[in-house]
Amino acid sequence: MRRSAFRRSLTLFWWLMVAFLYLPLGVIVLYSFNAANSAAYFAGFSLRWYERLLGNDQLLTALGNTLVLGVASSVIALVIGTLIGYGMYRHRRRKLGWLIALIYLPIVMPDIVFGISEMAFFITLDREFGVLGPSLATMIIAHVTFQIPFVALIVYSRFVGLDPTLFEAAKDLYASPFQRARHFLLPTLKPSLVAAFFLAFTLSVDDFVISFFTAGPENATLPIYIWGAIRRGVSPEINAIATLMILSVAIAAVISLLFNKESRRN
Amino acid sequence: MTVSPTASTAPEGAVREASSITLDGLRKRFDGDAIALDGVDLTIHAGEFFTLLGPSGCGKTTLLRILAGLEAPDDGTLTIGGRDVTTTPPHLRSVNTVFQSYALFPHLSVSENIAFGLRMKGVPVDERRARVDRIAEFIKLGALLERGVNQLSGGQRQRVALARALVCEPDVLLLDEPLSALDAGLRTQLQVELQRTQKRLGMTFVFVTHDQDEAMVMSDRIAVLDNGVIQQVGPPHEVYERPINAFVAKFMGHVNLFAIEAVDADRVTTGLGELVMDPPLEKSGHSGVLLIRQEVVELGHAVSEGYNGLEGVVKERHYRGSRIEYRLEINGVTLMATAANLGQRLYAVDDRVTVSIHPEDIVRLNA
Repeated sequence: MRRSAFRRSLTLFWWLMVAFLYLPLGVIVLYSFNAANSAAYFAGFSLRWYERLLGNDQLLTALGNTLVLGVASSVIALVIGTLIGYGMYRHRRRKLGWLIALIYLPIVMPDIVFGISEMAFFITLDREFGVLGPSLATMIIAHVTFQIPFVALIVYSRFVGLDPTLFEAAKDLYASPFQRARHFLLPTLKPSLVAAFFLAFTLSVDDFVISFFTAGPENATLPIYIWGAIRRGVSPEINAIATLMILSVAIAAVISLLFNKESRRN
Repeated sequence: MTVSPTASTAPEGAVREASSITLDGLRKRFDGDAIALDGVDLTIHAGEFFTLLGPSGCGKTTLLRILAGLEAPDDGTLTIGGRDVTTTPPHLRSVNTVFQSYALFPHLSVSENIAFGLRMKGVPVDERRARVDRIAEFIKLGALLERGVNQLSGGQRQRVALARALVCEPDVLLLDEPLSALDAGLRTQLQVELQRTQKRLGMTFVFVTHDQDEAMVMSDRIAVLDNGVIQQVGPPHEVYERPINAFVAKFMGHVNLFAIEAVDADRVTTGLGELVMDPPLEKSGHSGVLLIRQEVVELGHAVSEGYNGLEGVVKERHYRGSRIEYRLEINGVTLMATAANLGQRLYAVDDRVTVSIHPEDIVRLNA
């Protein structure tokens, strides 16, 4: 009797936690469909804020910037991170633990530190050599640097989970180094690569701090645009943008999760 | 059925000529570790079922990996089919391996796994399919071809790994303890199947195991390794009945080893007492140990004519179904004896028995 009461209270606690996490998001989604101009009351269902979004050129530019930045940085991070992950696996037996710790460091580094360092670095380059002034390029580089460790670790953990004799079996079955990459490594890695790409993309779309410090005046991304817009007061339009972002990030996260699961099942 | 009706019954491997292997002065040492191989000279004949037998760490797996090209020797040469392949990388050697873990590719189906080697060699699709079907029929895998490798049992995986290696028709097939992960019944069955497969194909097989029974059942010849050195090479009966030294004897399962204490004319003194050997020991053989195999020890009430006779007491009896093992004590020394269970009266613990050992059944070994 007492035990079941305890279990019920645990279940209750669980649902409270879920509510705590998701209610604010729910409120935003709800008010994005609000017919009224104010967030004080709900005046009925409307798509007017979504319609308004479509006519907002600044916002569409920001959305475009976000997508270009997200895709470009994720693709670059995927290539470099995969190579690093493979290298970490190949040399795991040597005493390179500190190198692997080095890969973890950017993950735990506060974004603000990262962003300011990147900014200082790019400004110096710009001043001394006249290259890499704040632009989409600097943002892509900055994003790639924080995405790489995530990609490398996903790829590395996939390799560690494989039977090491598979690499030897491929050699034994006449596969040249190129054929081993093409017919063994890449297909085996595929689910992990898809997962890593979508994780990197989610991180990029989500990022505000690092983008903020490395962006040029023309390169506002959605988070930067929203931040600017909110300073002028919260408009229900922001709720509509936020809802769309929640949706797209959720989709990317689910895809990443599904593929990571598949790669672990094999 | 996935087996194509065009598949013939004879596997192509049977047509091909088998290759011999020559190892000359092979040495291998791993960084900081003990020596893995310490000068191995060995010739493996074409079409032979050859087994490398030894305890873990004896160098047998290193030797196999050098044959496969997965490990490079520090010194020495390796010739397969008359060609020096010492420095040839694995993907350019006509050698295939059945790995202990089977190493089936998880992203490929059974048929794709089997076809992998042919695909890498650039064999055209049609021929590839025909050869996969043929080998699948030969190894009895037809119904499994379209499955994923995660849906297979241990025995099925073993068969797929074997088919994947055999379909390439290599000069030499290497098998790295391929049966050790299977349960006893299946293992016995696959031992027979493997041996049959090898005889039908006439291919050179090099098999690695630590199980002396498995080695004896399957092999044409066995090499026993210890500490990176080949101790003895020979057909199973020779290695078992005439082991060259105490290590080989113990590894083959023998327990009755007695140090030679003195030799007087044709009589040899050991802890058991005085024994007559036929032929008698030569002068050079006055040290070392004597081996008396458990199964040559005869128990009775009287000493048989021309036998060595000893008096002992039964200390333990182990009933094994088809045979009975006795632990006897003679002059304070333990002698194990095995008797076939033919329905005779069994001795009980503390019974006094007379032990007969024929002079020809006593073997002198190096210590």
